[in-house]
Amino acid sequence: MATIRLENIKKTYEDGTTVIENLNLDIKDKEFIILVGPSGCGKSTTLRMIAGLEEISDGNLYIGDKRVNDVSPKDRDIAMVFQSYALYPHMSVYKNMAFGLKNRKVPKDEIDRKVKEAAKMLDIEEYLHRKPRALSGGQRQRVALGRAMVREPSVFLLDEPLSNLDAKLRTEMRNRISILHRKLQTTFVYVTHDQTEAMTMADRIVVLKKGEVMQFDTPSVLYNHPKNMFVAGFIGSPQMNFLDTRIEVIKNSYFAVSESFKIRLSERMYDALSLYRNKDVILGIRPDDLHINNGASNENNPEKISAHIDIVEMTGSDYFLYGNTGNQKITAKVTAAVRFNDDTDCELSVDTDKIHIFDKVSEILICD
Amino acid sequence: MNSRKRLNHSISFTFLLFLSVIFLFPIYLVVLNSFKSKFNIVGSPFKFPNEDTFVGLENYANGIRMSDLMPSFLRTLIITVGSVLAIVIFTSMAAWFIVRVKNRATKTIYYLFLFSMIVPFQMIMFAMVSVCSKLGLNSVLGIIPVYLGFGSGMSVFLFSGFIRGLPHEIEEAAMIDGCGPLRTFFTVVFPMLKPTSITVAILNAMWIWNDFLLPYLLLGTQNKTLSVAIQIATQGAYGAIDWGGFMAMLVLAIIPIVIFYLFCQKYIIKGVIDGAVKG
Amino acid sequence: MEKSIKKYFPVFLLPALTAFAIVFLIPFLLGIFLSFTEFTTVDNAVWIGIKNYITAFTRDKNFLNALWFTTKFTLVSVITINVISFALALLLTRGIKGTKIFRTVFFMPNLIGGIVLGYIWNLLINAVLGIFGLDITYDAAYGFWGLVFLMNWQLIGYMMVIYIAGIQNVPSELIEAAQIDGASKPSVLRNVIIPMVMPSVTICLFLTITNSFKLFDQNLALTGGAPAKQTAMLALDIYNTFYGRIGYQGVGQAKAVVFFLIVAVIAFIQLRITGQKEEEA
Repeated sequence: MATIRLENIKKTYEDGTTVIENLNLDIKDKEFIILVGPSGCGKSTTLRMIAGLEEISDGNLYIGDKRVNDVSPKDRDIAMVFQSYALYPHMSVYKNMAFGLKNRKVPKDEIDRKVKEAAKMLDIEEYLHRKPRALSGGQRQRVALGRAMVREPSVFLLDEPLSNLDAKLRTEMRNRISILHRKLQTTFVYVTHDQTEAMTMADRIVVLKKGEVMQFDTPSVLYNHPKNMFVAGFIGSPQMNFLDTRIEVIKNSYFAVSESFKIRLSERMYDALSLYRNKDVILGIRPDDLHINNGASNENNPEKISAHIDIVEMTGSDYFLYGNTGNQKITAKVTAAVRFNDDTDCELSVDTDKIHIFDKVSEILICD
Repeated sequence: MNSRKRLNHSISFTFLLFLSVIFLFPIYLVVLNSFKSKFNIVGSPFKFPNEDTFVGLENYANGIRMSDLMPSFLRTLIITVGSVLAIVIFTSMAAWFIVRVKNRATKTIYYLFLFSMIVPFQMIMFAMVSVCSKLGLNSVLGIIPVYLGFGSGMSVFLFSGFIRGLPHEIEEAAMIDGCGPLRTFFTVVFPMLKPTSITVAILNAMWIWNDFLLPYLLLGTQNKTLSVAIQIATQGAYGAIDWGGFMAMLVLAIIPIVIFYLFCQKYIIKGVIDGAVKG
Repeated sequence: MEKSIKKYFPVFLLPALTAFAIVFLIPFLLGIFLSFTEFTTVDNAVWIGIKNYITAFTRDKNFLNALWFTTKFTLVSVITINVISFALALLLTRGIKGTKIFRTVFFMPNLIGGIVLGYIWNLLINAVLGIFGLDITYDAAYGFWGLVFLMNWQLIGYMMVIYIAGIQNVPSELIEAAQIDGASKPSVLRNVIIPMVMPSVTICLFLTITNSFKLFDQNLALTGGAPAKQTAMLALDIYNTFYGRIGYQGVGQAKAVVFFLIVAVIAFIQLRITGQKEEEA
C-alpha cells in the first residue's frame, strides 16, 4: 500500500543522451496507473527507475513517504513483471514463485500456503512442478504474475506484460490483471504501447512522448478531452481524423472551412476561437463521430462532409470506411446495418458536439 | 533411392570403413604388442602373439610397477578435477563481472585474457616456472591455481560469449526478489551457464589430463603425472627399455580416455564445436 | 544493478585475475625483459641488449633450421588436414549409414595426449621402417613425414567435426533453391556450401596453423629431434636451448620472443584474410 511520487526526475545515460528531462507524477495509493506512449518515449525507463533497476540522474522518487533514490530494488517493497517474463529457467514454477519469499526468510509453510493460494487464483496449480520451458506463453505470463503476487508488495510494476501474447490471450489476461488489481488492493504501475490495454484497465493513464507527460488523466477524459493532437491521435482506434481547416466567421457564426466542406461550429466554441478568425487550424473528429447520411434527415447534425470512400472494411458489427475529402484522408466507423460498397461518394454527417479544434503549430487543443 | 545413389553410398561406405581401419590400426598395434614378450616387439612388431611370445598380463604388471602408474594416475586425476572445478567456477564469475560491469578496466582485462590464447607456452615458460616455484605452486595442489591462470583465457572468452546472450531481465528479477550479486550469480546465473560450463570443463579436462610440459617443469619426476611418467619411462633405463611394459603403459593411459570419450561423446563433440565456433 | 555488482570486484574477478597475472602476465613481461639479458635464474639477469637475438639468428644454426622445419611441417599438415577433414565432413553429411560410428572413430585420436600419441606412432613407424632395416632417426625426412602423419591422424577428426557442424548449418532451402536454379552438384558445393562454411574454414585454419606451429609433445615423443636435432621444431628447439645448454637461457628466451611474434603475426594475418573472405561470401 503506497503512493508513488516522482519529483523533477531526470534520466541521462552514460553516453550523454537524456531520455527524460523533468518528470513529475503523483500516483495515489491503490491506483492502477498505465504509462503509455510510442517506443522511446521513456515509459520503460520510468518504470525501471521506480523499480530501482535504473539509476535516477536527478530529482526525487518517493514510495510512501520514503525517498528511495538510493534504496536497492530488493528493499523497495516492489514486485515486477517483465515483458519477457524473466522466469528462472532452471527452477520449477513452484520454486520460481517461492524464490523471493525464500530470500526473505519467510517460514516454509507460509511460503507453501502463499504459493498455492496464488497458483489457485491464476489457474496454474497443475503446472507447479513443471519447468518454465514446458509452459505456453500465457501460462508463463501467469507464473510471472504469481511470482510477483506472492510477495504481497506495496507496489506492483508491470513492463509490457502482454505484448508477447497473441490477441485472444491478451484480452483474457487483461481481465485477469484487472481482477487481480481489485483483489490485491495495491498500487499498480503498468507500461504498454497498446492504447487499448491502457483504456481498458487503467484508473488513470500517463501519456508520454519523448520523456514528457502529454496528459495524465482518466481514460474517459483522455478520450473525450485530449489536451493535444498527440494524445488525441494516440488514444482511440481507428485514429482520430485530423483535417486542415480555416476558421471563418460569416454572419456571427463560426465555420470550419476546407475546399470540400464547410461545417458550422457550435456556439460554445466561439469564445475560444475568437483569436483564430481566418486562421488555419486542425479539426479533429473521431471516426466514431462521423455517420452515414442514409437519406433520413438528421435534425441534430445537419453538418456534413462530402467524401469519396476507397475501401470498406467489415469488422462484423461495424464498417470502417477509408477515403478522402478533398485531398485529405478521412476514416469513418459506421454500424454495419447499412450495406456499403468500395469506391463510392457519400456524405458523412458530423456530430458537432464532439469536434476538437487544435492549434496548427503547437498542436495544443483550442477547444472541444 | 535410385540405384546410382545406392552404388555411390556403398562406395563411400566401403571407403569410410577402410579409413576407419587405418585410423584404428595404430592403437591396435599397441594393444597387440602389449601382450607380447618384450624381446619380440622391436624385431617383429606386426606379428600376432603366439605360444612363444604371448606373455598374458605380465607386461601390464611390469608397466604399472616400473612407473608408479597408479600414483601418477591419481595425481593426474586430482590435478585435472581440481583445476577444472577452479576454472569453471572462477572464470564464469570473472566473465559475468566483465560482461555486466562495462568500463575501460574490464574491457582491458577481457582483451588481456583473449591475448593470452595466442601466446606460445615457451614464451613464458622459464619465467613462469621461477615465479611459481617462488610462490610454492610447484606441488600437486599448487599447480591448480597455475592451471586456473592458463585456462582462464579461453574459458573467460567462452563464458562471456554466452553471458552476453543471456537476458538481463532474469538477473533483474532476482535482484527484485531479494538477491545480492553473489546470490544472483550462484542461484540464478550459474545454473543458466550449464551448457557452457560443460564445454569449458571438457575442453580444459582434455588439455590438462594430457598436458606434459607444465607438470614436468613444475612437479618434476617426483610428483609425476601420467604424461610425465610415460615420457620418462623411455629415458631412465639406460638403453634397455622394457618395450613390453611400455606398451602396456600406453594402453593403460588410453583406456580411461576411451571410456570417458564413449560416455561423454555427445558433450565432447558439442564442446569442440562450441569452442571452435566461439573461438 | 551494475553499481552493486561493481562493489563485488574482489570476489568475482580477483581469483581468476590473480592466477592469470601470476602465471601469464608477469612471466610474459619478465620474459620480454629476460630476452635482453644474460641469466641462469631470473635473479641474476644482466642486461646485454640484443645480443641474444643476434646469437639466435647467427651462431645457432639449430634455430633457423627449426624455423624452416616448422614452416614446412605447418604448410604440409595444414593443407592435408583441412582437405581431408573437409572431404570427410562432406561424406559424413550425406546420410550414409554408420555415420555416427565413423565420426566416433575419426575423432577419437584427438583425445589421446601428445606424448602417448608420439610413442604410438613411434612404434608404428619404426615397425614399418624396420622391414627395411631402418628406423625413424635414420633420416630427417622420416621424422618429417612421421610428424605429418601423426598430426593428420590427431587433428583430422577434430576439424571434421567442426566442418560437419558448419555444413549442417547451411540452410537446406538455400541448397534446394540453387538446385531449382539449375546448379550442378559441384556448382552447389563451390557457390553455396563452401562460401557458407567459410567461418568454419577460418577457425579450422587458425586451429591447425597454431597447433602445428606450436607442436611440442608429439615432436618430443616421436623423434625427440633426432637425427642430430634436424627434426626439432621451434618449441622443442627453444626448450632444448633453455634446459639443454647451460648459459644459453637468454638465447632461449630471445628465441621464444621471436617464436611468439611469429605466431602472433600468423594468427593476425590469417584471421584478417579469411575474415575478409567471410565478408565477401
